[in-house]
Amino acid sequence: MSELKDCPPLKYYDFKPVEHVKVCPRYTAVLSRSDDDGIGIEELDTLQLELETLLSSAIRRLRALEEQRQILTDWQDKKGDKRFLKPGKEADLMATPRHSKPKKQKLDGKGSHGPGPGPGRPKSKNLQPKIQEYEFNEDPQDIPRNPKNDTPNRFWASVEPYCADITNEEIRVLEELLKVPEDEAEYYKVHYNVHNKHVVLQVPALGKHYSQRWAQEDLLEEQRDGARANEKKKGVMGPLSELDAKDVDALLKKSESQHDPPEDGCPFGPLTQRLLQALVEENIISPMEDSPIPDVSGKDVGNDGASTSPRSQGKPFSVPHTRSLEMRIKEELVSQGLLDAEERQGAGGDSEDEVLAELHKRQAELKALSMHNRTRKQELLRLAKEEMRKQELRQRVRVSDNEVMEAFRRIMAARQKKRTPTKKEKDQAWKALRERESILKLLDG
Amino acid sequence: MALVSADSQIAEYLTELHQLIKQTQEERSRSEHNLLNIQKTHERMQTENKTSPYYRTKLRGLYTTAKADAEAECSILRHALQKIADIKKLLEERRIAAKMAGVYSDSDPPRKTMRRGVLMTLLQQSAMTLPLWIGKPGDSPPPLCGAIPASSDYVAKPGDKVAARVKAMDGDEQWILAEVVSYNHSTNKYEVDDIDEEGKERHTLSRRRIIPLPQWKANPETDPEALFSKDHLVLALYPQTTCFYRALIHTPPQRPQDDYSVLFEDTSYADGYSPPLNVAQRYVVACKENKKK
Repeated sequence: MSELKDCPPLKYYDFKPVEHVKVCPRYTAVLSRSDDDGIGIEELDTLQLELETLLSSAIRRLRALEEQRQILTDWQDKKGDKRFLKPGKEADLMATPRHSKPKKQKLDGKGSHGPGPGPGRPKSKNLQPKIQEYEFNEDPQDIPRNPKNDTPNRFWASVEPYCADITNEEIRVLEELLKVPEDEAEYYKVHYNVHNKHVVLQVPALGKHYSQRWAQEDLLEEQRDGARANEKKKGVMGPLSELDAKDVDALLKKSESQHDPPEDGCPFGPLTQRLLQALVEENIISPMEDSPIPDVSGKDVGNDGASTSPRSQGKPFSVPHTRSLEMRIKEELVSQGLLDAEERQGAGGDSEDEVLAELHKRQAELKALSMHNRTRKQELLRLAKEEMRKQELRQRVRVSDNEVMEAFRRIMAARQKKRTPTKKEKDQAWKALRERESILKLLDG
Repeated sequence: MALVSADSQIAEYLTELHQLIKQTQEERSRSEHNLLNIQKTHERMQTENKTSPYYRTKLRGLYTTAKADAEAECSILRHALQKIADIKKLLEERRIAAKMAGVYSDSDPPRKTMRRGVLMTLLQQSAMTLPLWIGKPGDSPPPLCGAIPASSDYVAKPGDKVAARVKAMDGDEQWILAEVVSYNHSTNKYEVDDIDEEGKERHTLSRRRIIPLPQWKANPETDPEALFSKDHLVLALYPQTTCFYRALIHTPPQRPQDDYSVLFEDTSYADGYSPPLNVAQRYVVACKENKKK
């Protein structure tokens, strides 16, 4: 400080003037010209820039000089006053700009005592958006520019669950998973009873073929439309419309009966056919095929005569009871022990159904997968339970660790006080040690 | 007739300017001696590492003289710059008059045939030669200097460059660089010409859609508070275009002739901003609308 008393806080600025020969070539050139040559309009821009440079430097010099002179004056006036140390330091003119007040402050100041006596209202109007801009200006920049790097945190957070202790809650979830879901059980129900081990998903019976259903729906639609149309013209042709309805019904039935028989044209089920075949002796039929006369009868049996008209074709065979007959034969055969219930599906002609075959295939896969999953789940449950036991042991190890440490500390404290540890303390220590060891053994085992 | 008188006036001014410049140099050489003296005294004081009363008094005297010199130099420089401004004003008036009359003078070739590159150079030129505001100590920068907005009742004069918000053909609103043609006080509307397609597109816009461009550059060395600070939201003329776009100030200029470095809002970049681009002080104005925030 004493040094400072002798030496005012001067900056010793370098007041060297701008070297105009180097920095301002146009200015220098103009200087060397005679009055007659003058200045060209096209030189104005460059000249302006150079003059600005000169003026700027002169202004800076002026300010610096003023400041330094002030320091000298102040220093002489109040020798030893440390206070003006500060202004000296603050006014680091050459390096940093003089008016380094924060902008906001400046703006606020402007609002209260701005230059020029402008009308009050517009002034504040002007000021408001300005300040707003400053406020929001701080954040939008930071967000895109330097995003916070929390990747390590996120990574460890994601790892955390795998290292955490297993809770009872988790065990419960596992057990819940092992239970067969109810809706699934419903699917299995039928076959659970029959074959206890095999879980087969029940496939619902085939409905009507879509082409049939659509045709029927179309027909019904037309019927309805027709009825509506008829209602309008009821007065004119009432009886006729009734007739129409009947016709449609007949048509419907006919189409149904036509679609009903299987593709081979035989209305009887395969079992019925097989049974009949078994009952009819072959040698009786074969000569009939050879003979030319019973052509008609043969065709009737086969039911695919080209000569028979489509009308006559359906009628004799549209027997309504073929299905129930087939079912009864099936039941009878099963009860007689001639047919295996298992075989029923294959024998039922359904084996030709591609969709069903695919279903069965997928079901088999699903079955295998669910079995696999089940064993996995069981394994997991077993491991989890084991781990729970170990966790418990580890918890106890920690407790006993603490006990051992406690005992150790007590004995050490005793040692420091230069007294032999009491018997009680020793016993406690030993007990803790032994307990810990036994738990560790359990853990290893 | 008017043109001829303007010509002679300009010639006269140019001669005066020449005189002023010569005076400036005289002033400068005079003060040079004194400054050298200060320099020497500084050196001696520093080597002695102690200020004797003699040196203090001497230095004080030197400082006072140098200050007076600097003041004289400043005043004459201002005078010279004012002269230049006057000449430019005359030239500008002549240009506007010529434009109004539909006549193009030789110094101002027909704009319609101007190529884009030429226009860009002109814009750059006018930005470069925007006068620097250099206040006397204690003066605060006036409106329209750097970032300081015009007062709310300010009316841009014909020929002034402004940022104008216009509706483009496709309905999008855009801030374009335009030149004021006239201002109607009864309707409070400006008539402006698109700088790019002069004569083709004339817009009539309410004053809300007009932002006058700065008429002085702020000097970063003396008036940094008159500059937009870092991260300030502004409208800036995109380089090689005549349109203003929203941008953030990256770095304010460091020296009077420096440009702003700004980051334009640009969704084609990953972080939503373009890399830093340079835009002259003249083509950076405060962004009023904050609709996105």
